[in-house]
Amino acid sequence: MLDAFSRAVVTADTKTATIGGGELAALKSFVAEGNKRLDAVNAIASNASCIVSDAVSGMICENTGLIQAGGNCYPTRRMAACLRDGEIILRYVSYALLAGDASVLDDRCLNGLKETYAALGVPTGSSARAVNIMKASSVAHITGTNSPEAAGSRYNKNDAAQGDCSALASEAAGYFDRVVSALS
Amino acid sequence: MKSVVTSAIASADAAGRFPGSADLQAVQGGLQRAAARLEAAEKLNAGIDQVAKEAYDAAFKKYPYLNNAGEAGENQGKQDKCLRDIKHYMRLINYCLVVGGTGPLDEWGIAGAREVYRALNLPTAPYVTAMQFTRDRACAPRDMSPQALSEFRSLLDYVINSLS
Repeated sequence: MLDAFSRAVVTADTKTATIGGGELAALKSFVAEGNKRLDAVNAIASNASCIVSDAVSGMICENTGLIQAGGNCYPTRRMAACLRDGEIILRYVSYALLAGDASVLDDRCLNGLKETYAALGVPTGSSARAVNIMKASSVAHITGTNSPEAAGSRYNKNDAAQGDCSALASEAAGYFDRVVSALS
Repeated sequence: MKSVVTSAIASADAAGRFPGSADLQAVQGGLQRAAARLEAAEKLNAGIDQVAKEAYDAAFKKYPYLNNAGEAGENQGKQDKCLRDIKHYMRLINYCLVVGGTGPLDEWGIAGAREVYRALNLPTAPYVTAMQFTRDRACAPRDMSPQALSEFRSLLDYVINSLS
């Protein structure tokens, strides 16, 4: 497992070069923006069950065949497995966001996931849809743009300090995209 | 590679939970110390050639016998390799300063070093001298801030201990 710092080291080692200049500047901004990153991870972790259940419900609303007999979310035992998997994927995305590097997501979650789903007969299109809903929801929580209109009674106001989190939001979105491309 | 961030993630993952406030606090603590480490890495990167050359000179000054025929520094080629090795240690120290742990030194510098030096019949004392010279030569605030210097020195001591 690597983080932003050890990723720089591994990259530099392939060139037997010391780390300086541009790489160090990037790492310094990682440190300077560290609190924002922790707030972003906290935004995902604190709203995890809401993000996951909304994503799975949304996926099913768009394709109700999933909860009819023979569907992949029928009966509740299989829907529970689906919710569990959504939470696992979101958890590894939150780890990747904390580390600033996708290696933990790749090594511990995505490696072999597509093959596992193929063997279990899980439809990857639906999985990818749920991941994309988690992406939209997580980005909204990170940037603090989640609204009472969209969330209804489950609206959870983000009281973290205000600031520009667009870079972190797009980084998180990149990790979700990585999950989608690993599945398809 | 082990660092504050990866340790926090590993422990959260072992328990199967999202990063909690304790994990985030640990990472925050690590990031606070990172500024000094990155400063030391930057200064070392800027002067690595000179630092390595001075350390190398100190080693050969203390052990002039190395230049004798049949010794580890008998010709220019072998001397260049000695300088290269010292620079190699400095580069790994640069990496350790960036990562915030001794992972790079452990994995790429220390593991197997004893066996290699024995197989090639190389003395480790000159390397120790070179590292000691660098440790005592570096001074704050001329070279770097005191906090950065203590991070740098602790890694030099780590190399010295591994070679002694």
